[in-house]
Amino acid sequence: MYSAQITRANPTCIILLIDQSASMSDPFSGDAATKKSDFVAEAVNHTLHDLVIRSTKTEEIRNYYYVSVIGYGRKVGPAFGGPLEHRSLAPIADIADYPLQVKMSYKKVPDGSGGWVEIPVRFPVWVQPFAAGKTPMCEALVQVKAILTAWLADHPSGFPPTVLHLTDGESSDGDPLAIGQEIMSLSTDDGAVLLFNCHISSRRSAKIEYPANDSLLIDGFARSLFAISSPLPANFLAAAAQLGVSAGEGSRGFVFNGDPSSIVQFYEIGTSLTGVTPYRWMDEGT
Amino acid sequence: MSSSRFQSQQFLLPKEGHLLSECEDVIGVNALTQRFAIADGATEAFDAQSWARRLARQWVRLDRGALVPDDFRSWVAAEGRSLHDSWKNLQLSWYAEEKARTGSFAAFVGVQLEVELATPRWQAIALGDACLLHCRAGRILSALPLANHESFNASPLLVPSLGLLQDAGLRNIVVDSGVLESGDVLLLLSDAVAAWYLRLAESGDRARCCFEELLMADREDELEQLFSKERRTGRIKNDDIAVLRIELRLP
Repeated sequence: MYSAQITRANPTCIILLIDQSASMSDPFSGDAATKKSDFVAEAVNHTLHDLVIRSTKTEEIRNYYYVSVIGYGRKVGPAFGGPLEHRSLAPIADIADYPLQVKMSYKKVPDGSGGWVEIPVRFPVWVQPFAAGKTPMCEALVQVKAILTAWLADHPSGFPPTVLHLTDGESSDGDPLAIGQEIMSLSTDDGAVLLFNCHISSRRSAKIEYPANDSLLIDGFARSLFAISSPLPANFLAAAAQLGVSAGEGSRGFVFNGDPSSIVQFYEIGTSLTGVTPYRWMDEGT
Repeated sequence: MSSSRFQSQQFLLPKEGHLLSECEDVIGVNALTQRFAIADGATEAFDAQSWARRLARQWVRLDRGALVPDDFRSWVAAEGRSLHDSWKNLQLSWYAEEKARTGSFAAFVGVQLEVELATPRWQAIALGDACLLHCRAGRILSALPLANHESFNASPLLVPSLGLLQDAGLRNIVVDSGVLESGDVLLLLSDAVAAWYLRLAESGDRARCCFEELLMADREDELEQLFSKERRTGRIKNDDIAVLRIELRLP
């Protein structure tokens, strides 16, 4: 299980489901200048960037991944901006070719002899921050299920789709347990659909990351989210270990009261798929 | 290819569902310099096939040198610069440009024979998971840089083309040497087939003999069938396969 090779002929599907309700405009972790929605949009754009670079073969891009970004708040639907607006699922080649905009910046990389050098990098933007309305989580999960059902009809043997759901609050349209379980019951020949949930909080409450049981979860909403979080397959556990995240046999793809670093790790682990976090292979020994 | 003192056979097979032209494993053979090499371009790297081709084919052209770490590092630095120069006039998309910025990566193993010496020997240099196996009468005398099938993983060390990464990236070069006798076989194997072969050897699986017989007889179609079956049953990873077999025929 979870061992199918991801190829152009046998691609996989990744859905990034993001809460865009009004509370996402609150500051994150005490930094008044950064809203939760800003941080999440940046993390989503970074994740899409990584997937594009991973799929780039010299001058062409290979469609190993089909990606969806669904937002829910004032409305529920595709969250891409620009040319991909309204697309509920796009091959990675289209995502590469149609960003909303491409920003230039610099980043520091090791110079190989203990120092650092700055190199220019491009930061494409596909998703912009948005925060308004309630939290129609169930309606959003229904849309996710529809995308997955169509995908699975055409790709019954591939690496199972992965849904990475990020939220900062309770659902405003009911308990997501039933629809979450429906999603988790979908599968390919290689295993069940993976649904991972990351709950974030501006409060300084203790965060709970990748637990194997719900004994530390005190409220009903947290327990519901835990119940609709898939256990991390071995490949994902290997990626978590590479990132120094504490997770083991039976750990669920679930974070509660997560902070900014939780979000970054959640997307890195959730898109590792074959066990290699983006660029880890390149950083070996550096 | 054969000379009076050795004979070699090679076999190259792309991943299932890929064309031979997309294969990123490259074999280098030069009977004059008595050098043999395999380079395996990292699938996720930019222009990996060109980097692997450059490493394998240029290294075997050398009469001498690049067999000890310092010398090898200098040679890699020069080859890396040439590769990056070759990209300068390309019109690249933002993502290709981004990827090119980090350079290319490949595993490498090269062996130099010295069969004219009173005591014939081999010297090898390797980084990553492409392997050299020295076999005598069916026994593996030595294997480098990895010696058992459990040592292979998804994040091997690789030879980087980008100068910025070479100091750190080339710290773990492995060198070794051995004495050769007539009838000895040297096998150079890229990672998937090396892991498969070592596992067969460790478990005494008869498929190893079958593989060697087909290889010696240059029966490519049957080798393809063998690997197709091994891939279907999951006994070998669906990866590019490069095999180079050298048999010594010393007087």
